[in-house]
Amino acid sequence: MMDTSIVEVINVTREVAWLPWAVQYFFLIGLSVGGLLLSLPGYAFARAGWRKLGRVALLAALTCGLAAPVALLSDLHQPGRFWHFYVVFRPTSWMWWGSIIIPLYVTALLVYGWACLREELHEQGRVDSRLAALYRLAALGGGRDDRLIRTAGLVALAASLLVALYTGSEVAVVRARPLWHTPFLPVQFLATALAGAAGLVLLLNRFAADGDRDVEVRANRLLAAALGAVMLVGALWLALGLSGLEPTHAEALRSVAGSEAWRVTAVWAVAATVLPFAIAVAKPAGTGLLTGLVAVHGAWMFRWTVFIGGQTVPKTGAGFYEYALPAGPDGVLGIVGTAGLWMFLLLAVTAVLPIPRRAAPGMPHPIAAE
Amino acid sequence: MDQSRRNFCLGVGAATAGAATLPPVPAEAAATRQGGDPAHRWGMVVDVRKCVGCQACTVACIMENDVPENSFRTIVSTYEVTEEGRSGTYMLPRLCNHCEDPPCIPVCPTGATYQRRDGIVVVDNTVCVGCAYCVQACPYDARFINHETQTADKCTFCVHRVEAGLLPACVETCVGGARIFGDLNDPGSTVSALVRDQAPKVLKPEQGTQPRVFYIGLDPKFQGKVDGTPTLWRPSAAAEHDDGYRVDEAHAEPRAAKEHA
Repeated sequence: MMDTSIVEVINVTREVAWLPWAVQYFFLIGLSVGGLLLSLPGYAFARAGWRKLGRVALLAALTCGLAAPVALLSDLHQPGRFWHFYVVFRPTSWMWWGSIIIPLYVTALLVYGWACLREELHEQGRVDSRLAALYRLAALGGGRDDRLIRTAGLVALAASLLVALYTGSEVAVVRARPLWHTPFLPVQFLATALAGAAGLVLLLNRFAADGDRDVEVRANRLLAAALGAVMLVGALWLALGLSGLEPTHAEALRSVAGSEAWRVTAVWAVAATVLPFAIAVAKPAGTGLLTGLVAVHGAWMFRWTVFIGGQTVPKTGAGFYEYALPAGPDGVLGIVGTAGLWMFLLLAVTAVLPIPRRAAPGMPHPIAAE
Repeated sequence: MDQSRRNFCLGVGAATAGAATLPPVPAEAAATRQGGDPAHRWGMVVDVRKCVGCQACTVACIMENDVPENSFRTIVSTYEVTEEGRSGTYMLPRLCNHCEDPPCIPVCPTGATYQRRDGIVVVDNTVCVGCAYCVQACPYDARFINHETQTADKCTFCVHRVEAGLLPACVETCVGGARIFGDLNDPGSTVSALVRDQAPKVLKPEQGTQPRVFYIGLDPKFQGKVDGTPTLWRPSAAAEHDDGYRVDEAHAEPRAAKEHA
């Protein structure tokens, strides 16, 4: 560079247009997809050792999957017009595909969740209670049906992969933002979603299940694997950018390299990945609360950085746009509100289907497989 | 046909081949165009050498299009450039580039934003759901969410004026004659002549968007994301009206204020 200095004197600030609502959506739908995938071995593939973890994962998938679309709808500046998506054919828009895929996914998830929990509904219907008839109705007069669970599970699996594909592609195709425009992004969304889901399983195992040690160890191992993938993809992205082999990555790095805030974010992200990984590998039992919290936080932070951080990088102007988290619905209230909705859903599901008690020794486990 | 602001009129330049040596419209983009008269291809040439940075265009646009406070369809980005010990001011009027292959259009999930057959990119704000996907997709930060309509908003080349045979408000008001508007399909138009003879540049050509806003005298340092010290002052109605101290704070520590991620 020649001896030139440029000071921007007047320019426009473009505020973020995808709000914290979008962060909440991508976070929740990611956790839901991750939870669904983690529930499949125990339910759809009837692997007995995975069953208990599967139930916790299913709880994560259902609660997050139901809360996510609400956050997404709120991110529209004209939410009442959402039906406009459904009266046009816009195959060039990943968001339009998303509007088709989300209801598919939520429906498939609900059917699969029902198929998985039907056995419990059936059991509740045999309890002497005024609600027994309702439970029997909800179980549609049947108990565990592994073929139904498998079929519904495979459909939900397909739908969840479509969600992973569309959510990742929707952002990755935005060429105007070098930080987003990379085929690594959908992979990283999925990897962090799996890590976040494993983290949520660890938390729910503690607070909405019986705190089973085997579930904790298994979930910690899954978390370590997911975080390993996160580190691998992240390192590859960075290497391609630093070496200049991938110009988009290099441009993305250049756009944030000079910022102290981004450097802090990067160190934080590495710490939030390496620490739970190390703990989960070294001591998978008894650490679930810590690793789970950090993992959930990491999955959220990744999305916050991608969406809110990404939008503070001007496309033409110098430096960065300011972002201050508003207190209202477009900021704190949206984040807290979404979390509150999720909490309500968790309470509702666990109220209807109480945490299964640990089977007494010698008694057949009510949901023992095969 | 002279398309300066003095005697601009419609209905003259019918489509003529070879108006300017511009590549043809991508077939996919052409197929989705609707409305407007395909005989014309409206475009703008900005001669940055003539821009004095008075922001009359910025204000005229706001008045003409009822642009809400704190939002801008066009603005003159202004930079202080110091080179070899000498300082000068560089002005760069920015607006929607009405690209030949606009990346904002394919991403729209409702079809609310579309390109007319005369090349003008518009938003139907009765259809737009305000998802802001187009805001993300535009490489020029030309789009924003209008908080009065809660839909995507942008420069329309003052399509309502153009339809009535008038120039866009920013062109009409430009003191130095830095903004020249006209029909790129008409080989006799001023814009065609300038594009033909002056070899003007476009912003971010590597994005492949083929802008139809051209710049004469565009310094390569300003062609993409500007590498410099961020702005000392950003127009902000909220800062001025609601909590004035923020303005002072921004003046006191412009860099610290900008570095928030």
